[in-house]
Order: sequence, then C-alpha cells, then structure tokens
Amino acid sequence: MAIFRPEDEARVRELFAKLERPVELLVAHGPEEEMAHVGARDIDFAAETERVVRELAELSPSVSVRVEEQPDGFDRYPAVSVQPEGRDVGVRYYGLPWGYELGSLIGAVLEAGRAESSLSAETLERLASLDRDLAIDVFVTPT
Amino acid sequence: MKMAFASPRVRASGIESSEFPALADRMEVYSVPRIVVDGVPQWDGSVPERVFVDRVLAPSFD
Repeated sequence: MAIFRPEDEARVRELFAKLERPVELLVAHGPEEEMAHVGARDIDFAAETERVVRELAELSPSVSVRVEEQPDGFDRYPAVSVQPEGRDVGVRYYGLPWGYELGSLIGAVLEAGRAESSLSAETLERLASLDRDLAIDVFVTPT
Repeated sequence: MKMAFASPRVRASGIESSEFPALADRMEVYSVPRIVVDGVPQWDGSVPERVFVDRVLAPSFD
C-alpha cells in the first residue's frame, strides 16, 4: 500500500523540489520494546519504517536513505535520523513515522534541506548564546 | 526540531508513544504532544515558537 494519496504525493514532491541541499535519512534498526496491546505484534515496525522512508526518498533526488543496524547514538528502535548533507545534528524520530509523525518527518526534511534556518532571528540569537546542552523530546501518537 | 538543526547544543527527538509504552509511562504521557526537556516532563500541547523557546530556555532548567 502506498503511504500517500496521489494528491498528497504530488504536494510532497513539490515541497521537496525546493530543497536547497541534500538530506539523508538514516534508518536505525535494533531490538524493539515489547508492546502489550493486541495486534501490535502483527506490525513489523522496523520494516514499515524503512518502507515509509524509502517511499519518501523516492519523491526527490535530494533525499537519500541509509540503513544501519544499531548505529551509535540511538536509544531505541526503529529510529530515523534526519541529516542535512549526511551530518548527524541530533534530530531523531523514534517509532514508525505514520499519521501525525509522517507530517512531522516531512517538515524535518524540509528544514534540513534549507540553507538557512526558518526560525526567527530572535530565536537564533538566543540559541547562539546557549551555554549548555539541551535534549528536547516530543511524545506523540499517530492520530 | 528546528532548534536542533539550528544549534549544535540542541538535540530533538519525536517519539511514538504507543511503540515505547514503558518510556511513555515513565514520562507520564497522557496527552500529546508532551514536551520533555532533559528527561523531565514539562508541558502538553503545541505553543508558538517564542513561547516554546521561552519555556525550554527557562532558568528553571539550569
């Protein structure tokens, strides 16, 4: 099953056509957490994640995919790291990117593909004066 | 996410709660999006960029 409806696919292609630099999506496979709810085991989350990411990458010559088994710097699996020009800048998606997370992953590819950040000048100034490391986790659900 | 692209000091993760129930339980995720900074749950819900930055950079996180 395709991940996009034809009209959505066309829209994503259009957005990806504006990428100003290449973006690599690193898919990290490894041991997954046990899920308790019924039906969860029927889904191969790792395979589905890789399939979604490969389909995304097919929409633009600027987006590429790399798949690795338990690479350094990942807490859990499956995961996708969004890398501007193949550089790991600390952006991760943990879990199968569908529904809400798919939109968010596309947003991350667009941001990674920008030569300049889309954040406001004020935010960039505040980030530049940040004198400690910051880890931000956003918990979501598919719907 | 945009902050992580813009600063080498910032890491950002999107986490699918239903696939990582043990972690989501520890972070007491009952409503999404739930924002966690340096492993400490902070707030739920989307906020404008300026508010987001104010909150994650707040002195209380020092």
